[in-house]
Amino acid sequence: MWEFLSDVIRKTLTGFGERLASFGPNVLAMLVILGAGIVIAGALRILLRLLLPRLGFDRFAQRLGLTLLLEQGGVTRPASAALSSALAWAVLAVFVLLAVGALNLQFAMDLVSRTLSYLPQVIIAAALLALGALISAFLRRSVLIAAVNAGLPSARLLAGGVHTALMVLFVAMAMEHLGVGRQIIVVSFTILFGGVVFALSLSFGLAGRDLAHGFLERLVRGPEQEKPDDLRHL
Amino acid sequence: MTAKVPLAPSVEARLEEIGSVEVLVGIPSFNNARTIGHVVRAAVAGLAKHFPNARSIIVNSDGGSKDGTPEVVAGSEFPSPATILVSYPLSPVHKIVTPYNGIPGKGSAFRTIFAIAERLQAKACVVVDSDLRSITPEWIELLAGPVLKEDFDFVAPLYLRHKYDGTITNSIVYPLTRALYGKDVRQPIGGDFGFSGRLASHYLTKPVWDTNVARFGIDIWMTSTALADGFRVCESFLGAKIHDAKDPGADLAAMFVQVVSSVFDLMSSYQERWASINAAEDVPLFGFPHGVGLEPVSVNVERMRRIFRQGSRDLREIWEKALAAETLAEVMAVADSDEQPFRFPDPLWVRVVYDFAAAYHRRSLPGDQLLASMVPLYLGRTASFVLQTAESGPEDVETSVKGLGDEFLRQKAYLLQRWG
Repeated sequence: MWEFLSDVIRKTLTGFGERLASFGPNVLAMLVILGAGIVIAGALRILLRLLLPRLGFDRFAQRLGLTLLLEQGGVTRPASAALSSALAWAVLAVFVLLAVGALNLQFAMDLVSRTLSYLPQVIIAAALLALGALISAFLRRSVLIAAVNAGLPSARLLAGGVHTALMVLFVAMAMEHLGVGRQIIVVSFTILFGGVVFALSLSFGLAGRDLAHGFLERLVRGPEQEKPDDLRHL
Repeated sequence: MTAKVPLAPSVEARLEEIGSVEVLVGIPSFNNARTIGHVVRAAVAGLAKHFPNARSIIVNSDGGSKDGTPEVVAGSEFPSPATILVSYPLSPVHKIVTPYNGIPGKGSAFRTIFAIAERLQAKACVVVDSDLRSITPEWIELLAGPVLKEDFDFVAPLYLRHKYDGTITNSIVYPLTRALYGKDVRQPIGGDFGFSGRLASHYLTKPVWDTNVARFGIDIWMTSTALADGFRVCESFLGAKIHDAKDPGADLAAMFVQVVSSVFDLMSSYQERWASINAAEDVPLFGFPHGVGLEPVSVNVERMRRIFRQGSRDLREIWEKALAAETLAEVMAVADSDEQPFRFPDPLWVRVVYDFAAAYHRRSLPGDQLLASMVPLYLGRTASFVLQTAESGPEDVETSVKGLGDEFLRQKAYLLQRWG
């Protein structure tokens, strides 16, 4: 009995030892790649955090409206710090994928292969979202300022409408690129856009009858209530 | 290094033919067929009457008018010397009518005029607006005379204007230019100037022709460059300035942005020059100041206040990027105040301008957006100025504008602190 038990244990240990001997280098390679990834990502982050502010990236981001956008999204760090972190995480993610691939397991290989083939779409979708956020924030400000300077009472509503419509458009484009529920997105966008236009028409026609009346009257007769202003500013 | 300004082949040929001139009168235009004939006749009469022995030329630099402006200039009959002159001109007044290249705007038109002045080695140049109704032949003498006879390089105009006319000039450009460069030039964006050929060549060396200087920013850029680069500057009294009637407030925001961005850009370029200046002095004045009747100006103060109040509600997030916390709090208090009469105090206005100048320098936001968001503040200040001076005569208003200028000087340390 004892001999049988010790034989089983010996075979188990021998099998484990053989498997470990054949799989060990893969694990070691994974750990080395992971370690290298952490070191490289960390070094890249430090380097960018030193270099970007000196190259005037924060001023550039401020001018572009990126800083304001980050602040609106709750990111209070300088744009250079945010970009450094984002790039470091992206590099680390690539190394994690390589490390998983080093295990040489079938499911790991499939995961790496699928992720790598999907990565371009993800990057394009992320770029579309970032571009959309920048453009819509810029246009929102432009519309808001122009509407206030023109004395339009609903300046915020107008600017918010432009911002929302643009963001919906860019989100739809990003999702379309990712191939997520193509039909659902197109249909949702159509319904949403149609609904907004219908709601606006309805509210302008019913709730804002007086406003519509006044607007059309001014359109036809001109702004006769407004006193003419012939101030020369220059 | 001067980049060569492209000129039409026909203009090049004409320049070869003319060779050189002593006096050049430049007239930028865009759809001014109704008024430019009068301006050309006044210029020709002025040249013939005051500079009969000088070789002279009139250059019309046009922005692609569709109403026949160049044809009006080309076909302008010069008045018979005998009817208005004391001397017969010895040499005829030449004329060049040319379209200009570059960004559409007054600045691009001027650039072509500068280039022609340089090619013709003009000693004195005069530029006048093409929509003037009040120009007389004497303007040519008053603007070119100090250059030719007294060796000045830049002659700024001094006009009699209605107390509510030129509010961007009175509330920003004049006091700020005075505080920055230490010279009291009352109409730095007057639009009609005299300058030496040397200064015209100097202007051409500056790489500014793709900026707002190519548009409405040209006037303040010419004045500030002459002041900051140490050229000899004086003023000439021209009387009243009356333009052709058009909608003056049609594109206030665009005009405001172009002018103010030019002033602020110059502040960045000439920081070392203005940082140490703490006092202002008068510049020599030519001409004979006298009173004239002025056209009434109607002002809609309520609309200005309404836009200011709306700005305080809707643009706060943008103003926060430019204004110091205490300044913003005071602006909000002014906007919310029901005090009668409405007041936007001078010291607060000066801090607002300095804060925006510093924010523009730091590039806190895209420049055009930042300055466009300043328009409601400017309208609030203008409304206050109109109410404050409603019962005042021209002298009192002038005292008030000079007082604002002194406030800009007093707070120069604040500007330096905010500038960083």
